Amino acid sequence: MNLRIRKAAAVPGAIVAALLVQQIALAGPEEDRLAFVAYFQSRFPDIPFEQFANGIYAIDSDARSQWLEIEEFPPYEFAVERGKELWHKALPNGTMLADCFAAQLPDIRGQFPSFDVASGEVITLELAINDCRIENNQPPLEYDSSEMIDLTAYLAFEARGTKVDVRVPDDQPGALAAYESGKRFYYSKRGQLNFACADCHVTSAGQWVRADRLSATIGHTTHFPVYRSKLGGMISLQKRFAGCIRDVRAKPFELQSTQYRNLEYFLSYMSNGLEWNGPGARK
Amino acid sequence: MGRALANRRSLRRLMLITVLIALTGCATEFERRFDEAERLRSEAAAADSEWLETGDLLAQAQQAASRDDLDAAMVLVERARFQAEMAIKQAAREADAWAGRVVK
Repeated sequence: MNLRIRKAAAVPGAIVAALLVQQIALAGPEEDRLAFVAYFQSRFPDIPFEQFANGIYAIDSDARSQWLEIEEFPPYEFAVERGKELWHKALPNGTMLADCFAAQLPDIRGQFPSFDVASGEVITLELAINDCRIENNQPPLEYDSSEMIDLTAYLAFEARGTKVDVRVPDDQPGALAAYESGKRFYYSKRGQLNFACADCHVTSAGQWVRADRLSATIGHTTHFPVYRSKLGGMISLQKRFAGCIRDVRAKPFELQSTQYRNLEYFLSYMSNGLEWNGPGARK
Repeated sequence: MGRALANRRSLRRLMLITVLIALTGCATEFERRFDEAERLRSEAAAADSEWLETGDLLAQAQQAASRDDLDAAMVLVERARFQAEMAIKQAAREADAWAGRVVK
């Protein structure tokens, strides 16, 4: 009898628990961000919020001192210079890339990622640059081409000091759906190693993985593109996504795929309030 | 003498036909298993859950089959099938499990 009562009580209890988990998972973007900030500030109480924009160099003092020395002669400087030339060079029909953007420097970087109501998709800076080229009868750039990296490096450099302020408008259900899709991607385990992004960059942030320490989620998107010493060149944020996906032995997605753009949308929102500080230099 | 020669020829013909039937049967079995593994890989990909090596294993299996190395081809296709099945199970599990990891 008692057992039957316990079983009967367990059913609504399980339903309530499942609904609670669902409610938590479906918390709004701002609730998510505040929870993230509180989580990382409790994990790393000595690190001021604004320092999270520096990734692992906010957490690892030895690596930070090496990074500060690298920043004396920044290896991304050439990319910024080339990007500046490309940005100020007119397209064959006389249009400047700047003419395609509603904002002006230094605020262009900060306009993206954003949700575009017309297409119902997240638009990244790279997509916006290519849209401009296509509108002006120019072929789109490869997303990891040196021209694209140089242009985004210049726009990131110009945006330094401005704050990340990604919006997920309440009145656009598609925007929230894209954000939720990116969030789900971030927390879902994938690949042969059965790892979620969050397993490394939330649960294990600050821990060692062989010779490296894992960075915290907030601040992940502020400093791209970055010069990676181990590659001897610049890479984009989404190329870095692909590297992580490969590391857990899952098949990477195409650059600028819906999956990566939604992930960028979610992660960028998590960095709201930090300064744009790209381009960066990383090991 | 002539009859013995005819018997030997018949026997050879029979052996050749047997080998051909066996080889054709293996090839057909390989194709069936390959198609099944490819279908599962595609299902895993549709769930955004494909593993890194599955497509390469299938490509290697095809190469081995084209060299008539059906033993190797079968091993490769089985590995691919196993990976694809695990990836599908992973995606099904994650359909709900991800929500339990959200920072709150």
